[in-house]
Amino acid sequence: MDALPKRSPTLPPARTLAIVGLVLITSLLLVRHLAGIDGAGAELALSALLGIAFGVVLQRSRFCFYCVTRDFLDRRDARGLLGILAALAVGTLGYHLLFGAFLPDPASGRLPPGAHIGPVSWVLAAGALSFGLGMALSGSCISAHLYRIGEGSMASPLALLGALAGFVLGFLSWNGLYLDTLQAAPVIWLPHALGYAGSAALQVALLSLLTLLLWRAHKGPAMDGQAREGVWWQQRWRPHVGGVVVGFIAVLAYLRLGPLGVTAELGSLARTAASGSSGFPLRLEGLDTFAGCATAVKETLWSQNGAFVVGLVLGAFGAALSGGDFRPRLPKVPEAVRALLGGLLMGWGAMVALGCTVGTLLSGIMAAALSGWLFALFLMLGTWLGWSLRKRLDG
Amino acid sequence: MKRIRTLLATATLLLASHGALAAAADVLVSTDWLEKNLNDPKVRVIEVSVNPGQFERGHVPGAVNFAWHTDLVDPVRRDIVSRENFEKLLRSAGVSQDSTVVLYGDTNNWFAAWGAWVFDLYGIKNVKLLDGGRKKWEAESRPLAAVAKQPAAGNVKVGAADTRLRARLPDVVAAAEKKSDVALVDIRSADEFQGKVFAPAGIQELSIRAGHIPGAVNVPWAEAVAADGTFKPVDELRKVYAAKGIDGSKPIITYCRIGERSSHTWFALSKLLGYEVRNYDGSWTEYGNAVGVPITNLAGTVWGGK
Repeated sequence: MDALPKRSPTLPPARTLAIVGLVLITSLLLVRHLAGIDGAGAELALSALLGIAFGVVLQRSRFCFYCVTRDFLDRRDARGLLGILAALAVGTLGYHLLFGAFLPDPASGRLPPGAHIGPVSWVLAAGALSFGLGMALSGSCISAHLYRIGEGSMASPLALLGALAGFVLGFLSWNGLYLDTLQAAPVIWLPHALGYAGSAALQVALLSLLTLLLWRAHKGPAMDGQAREGVWWQQRWRPHVGGVVVGFIAVLAYLRLGPLGVTAELGSLARTAASGSSGFPLRLEGLDTFAGCATAVKETLWSQNGAFVVGLVLGAFGAALSGGDFRPRLPKVPEAVRALLGGLLMGWGAMVALGCTVGTLLSGIMAAALSGWLFALFLMLGTWLGWSLRKRLDG
Repeated sequence: MKRIRTLLATATLLLASHGALAAAADVLVSTDWLEKNLNDPKVRVIEVSVNPGQFERGHVPGAVNFAWHTDLVDPVRRDIVSRENFEKLLRSAGVSQDSTVVLYGDTNNWFAAWGAWVFDLYGIKNVKLLDGGRKKWEAESRPLAAVAKQPAAGNVKVGAADTRLRARLPDVVAAAEKKSDVALVDIRSADEFQGKVFAPAGIQELSIRAGHIPGAVNVPWAEAVAADGTFKPVDELRKVYAAKGIDGSKPIITYCRIGERSSHTWFALSKLLGYEVRNYDGSWTEYGNAVGVPITNLAGTVWGGK
């Protein structure tokens, strides 16, 4: 047995402590401000707090769907993907735990309140494919771009700008897609047919199988190796630790507020900005009848999702400062173009799929929605296509 | 002859008001009473709210959830729930012949009052409204539970609906055309009543005309409640409505946009003041679109089509 090195636990330098403390205080002041808003204050403050926690975890554990997929495709390093599976497993069990309380009888024909269980059709597959391509082009998915803003990335705001435009394209195509396909598309929730025990068992079995396959394919560093060298406040968390915490945050958010998602506010901003201009549909048919990252024309400054996203960026910013990951950098022109274009593809995809890797994939699969699994499948396909394309272009 | 009628009316009024004073305690329960009686197996608490996901994340401990737009209506016929389905629903909620049912909900008990009206239509006894509803319960930081329990099935029997509590379009048209002696109470906002708007802010405009039923008086529902959401005392309520000529001397019909807010006023007028009241659940979404019926529009914006 190796003897542990005997040294007293060090503290981060005073400069780091001070600057991280400042971000923390700013975040808490925001939470306090939100708590004071009449009527919705408690929910807004809680959203921001969960957002901060989510941002810290994403940044510390590098919970980035594209990065971890690329690790696997490039180097057969499966640790990041296993982290996502860990999040899904914890979330699946937690959601089923809550479902049992929220809706004791899953066969009643009702759906659990607010859970992201979406319509299953080719539109969802196309949206996921577009999203996967977009995240490969732009370098990460929307939630990862949000935490990258906290790391000082200048390409990420461009990607989000592209996503706003993509959302507008999504709204423009919505009515046709809804009337042709989505209106009649089935909304499939596994516990309807299988019961809670059945759907939880099926999902855990599937996730276990995927874990086994990934484990066998893994060629990267040892599974128990440190993610990164350095002192404790700079070390990245191991991916599965991040995954487990993400699963917990998702379940707690569903208990108190609603499923996690990061695109509702983005979509609402796009919808608010575009509505009223000529050619923008006066009515988005049936959009409000589906559960997912719902968008609305904004009437108040703060929404729950807005508070969550701002909290996410602040949390990631604090975590990045602590870890020495805050490195503002201007993108080169090709990177900027890729970010914008990728953002556009992601925005369209997230709009027609009613969410992104967080709202449709994580929150959907945790809720035992078939839509979540279908999104995951076509997302992987799109990501692989985008990855191959980039390799060909770069190499 | 006229004197006798006046005398009779006064006597009825006196009787009604006397009955009403006893009635307030019979049809309303306070948040305090409910918290003390939560463990009484004979008390069945039912939440009827309009916002989804609220009951699941926290409700009065032991309460069951009724979704008004699926449980209490027949959405295909646009009708109240059928006798069979209502009986099934109540039994699965653990309601028995000797139960005391307490209804409560969000948005000032609008839909809970709608529920109370449906319960009354079907002749269910011992149904009370939680005064102040969910809002007051939360404001007083009383406990909420997040786990819904399936109660043991009840044995309540539901009879045929008593149509005397429900106004239909012909009843309302007869009142509008002065063919029947009925007082109409429009409980919507002044802007809706005058026809300046077709629907409250943020609500779909579902009628093609704006305005109100001829002869109706406007007493917005909120005039029946105090600042904390509880009903005003009976004497005060009587004055509020008497000021608009609604004194129970003739039968009353209440209406709003879809019939839920007017249930709240129906409750105040019929259960607390003891007047003879029918709720018109078709309300403005039916009347405002009906063919060949008169309306009054004070704002001059009669027709919504272009």
